[in-house]
Amino acid sequence: MKNNKIKSIIQAFFTDLLFWIYVFGCSYFLIHSWFEIELTNTNIHILIAALVFTLVFLSFGMSLGRKIFSPTKLTNLKWKKTFWGWTIVFLLVITFVVGWNLVEVNPYKFFTQFKNARGISSGIFDPSIIGYKLTEKSFEELRENDVPLVVLEKLERIKNKSYTTKKVLSLDLKKKLDANELLEYKSSIFEYAQKNSNMLNIALSALAETIFLALLATIFAIPFAFVLSFLAARNLMPKTFLGNSVYLIVRTIATIFRSIEAIVWAIIFSVWVGIGPFAGMLALMIHSIAALTKLYSEQIENIDEGPVEAIKATGANTFQVWIFAVIPQIISPYLAFTIYRWDINVRMATIVGFVGGGGIGLLLLQQQQLLRWHNVGVIIWLIAAVVWIMDMTSAKVRAKLVEM
Amino acid sequence: MNNIIEIKDLHKIYARGTHALKGMNLTVKEGEFCILLGLSGSGKSTLLRCMNKLIDSTSGEIYICDGDVVKATGKTLRRIRRQIGMIFQQFNLIKNLTALTNVLTGKLGYVSLGHSVTFAQHKADMKLAMDNLKRVGLLEFADKKVKNLSGGQQQRVAIARALMQNPRVILADEPVASLDPATADSVMRYLGELNKKDNMTVICSLHFLSLARKYGTRVVALKDGEIVFEGTPKEIDEKKFKKIYGEEAEEVEIK
Repeated sequence: MKNNKIKSIIQAFFTDLLFWIYVFGCSYFLIHSWFEIELTNTNIHILIAALVFTLVFLSFGMSLGRKIFSPTKLTNLKWKKTFWGWTIVFLLVITFVVGWNLVEVNPYKFFTQFKNARGISSGIFDPSIIGYKLTEKSFEELRENDVPLVVLEKLERIKNKSYTTKKVLSLDLKKKLDANELLEYKSSIFEYAQKNSNMLNIALSALAETIFLALLATIFAIPFAFVLSFLAARNLMPKTFLGNSVYLIVRTIATIFRSIEAIVWAIIFSVWVGIGPFAGMLALMIHSIAALTKLYSEQIENIDEGPVEAIKATGANTFQVWIFAVIPQIISPYLAFTIYRWDINVRMATIVGFVGGGGIGLLLLQQQQLLRWHNVGVIIWLIAAVVWIMDMTSAKVRAKLVEM
Repeated sequence: MNNIIEIKDLHKIYARGTHALKGMNLTVKEGEFCILLGLSGSGKSTLLRCMNKLIDSTSGEIYICDGDVVKATGKTLRRIRRQIGMIFQQFNLIKNLTALTNVLTGKLGYVSLGHSVTFAQHKADMKLAMDNLKRVGLLEFADKKVKNLSGGQQQRVAIARALMQNPRVILADEPVASLDPATADSVMRYLGELNKKDNMTVICSLHFLSLARKYGTRVVALKDGEIVFEGTPKEIDEKKFKKIYGEEAEEVEIK
């Protein structure tokens, strides 16, 4: 009884200490950011102040920790009349204010600066699926239409260069030709410029890269996850020291690897094997192994134990039990999870591309940095289409597999 | 006749503290059809599962087919298990495999891992499995997935699986409790036939006295982990029935 009382006081003390450290820390942050006052040794000051406040308030019985950890008598006091009630209100208010400052929330910017996003939004609504190019053929046709050689020579340097829209082409024409030439020949140049779906082709091949790298990452992850999932299933591991250790080690490693985001793996591998789809594939593979091991092993833990019992009773050995009683029960959920994983990997591959994982993510980053919004538009629409199609089909296939 | 099963002072205490078997002594002779009676929770399932070590017993001795079950591990245990066929209330078949494959799994205790994944290449096994399916009247269902079969058919597949082991003993844990009365009788008839024709020893837990009287050569009744009655099925009158099942119980007739 006495032990319990001491324990609850210690718990209350540390809760209060954390509360006051938080309060003083937040206050310091606000003072610092509003009045730009620099204080020295702030950490120690905050700790000492918090300690003093904790002791003073605790000795007066005004404590949040006491409310949480000691079994209190039922009182009909409204929260407005209690100390802990006000501390919680204070906690919520100060958290909100500090949050607002840290995140630099600025509604004014949100409502007045839409024009900054005009480039990208015009790109999205006018993706440059079809571009223009002055090819050898265009030059011949222009010659036949009596465009003078002087003008054609000036255009020689932009021969075979791809333009996403006529607007971009005319910008280059302005640089190359003088005002009169421009006025006279612009329309015929436009007329004979060859249509070219260059950006679409580039984006499509980058997209294929992304889909295949996601597919390979999934396929390579399957055998590893398959084997590991058996070792990470509580019901299959014997209840011996060795069995428990294997289970715990596999589970822990899988959890750690899963909590490291694929984007972090991509950064590591893009340094290791160089920027490109291979780095992205490795990153997604590592993450998929960890995620699938967890999903698979949970599936094993949920199987019907009956057949396992029955197969054991025939005198089968452990591997035979796994092959005949466990695997038939898990094979279709495994397939469903794997397809779902591929679906997720395609989405993640786009993000992973941004940090050096290749594929359409990398292309998007490049085009965005070059401010080619019409190209960015093409890429965004393609990504959206693929994600939508994968989502639909994988849901359908998974539904079929569950019925099996 | 020699004793095929000998159980001496068997105790089972579960991890959560339930004392399921309290010093069980039981001897079964070869060729007997022994019925276990008793309420749910009286220890019937525990007793049956201790016999082939699906559950480890806490103390006591068990000898089946000249093997020491309690001490057996690994290969020795599997040698004992393959002589003991087991039939369950929920059939415990692998539902998304075919009836034939399910029957073949009865052979697992006799073959190597490599052999067991290439059953289709072993004509003798395939023929034996088909013969066993034929015996339980399910030859035309060989290639059907088990989940598409009815309860009675599933239990017959389970019997064929047990037959595949060529067992000396069959343990049946409430084999008819999930079946309707007519199907129940047909399943019991197969067990009776195995007992009479093939001289297999059957230990079968049941709830229906009428079935016990029809097929059993001996009845053992359990209550709270102890044997409260041992004798022939005919000896059970209303008084003994009430002793086993409690004062409230009425006998339900099933034909």
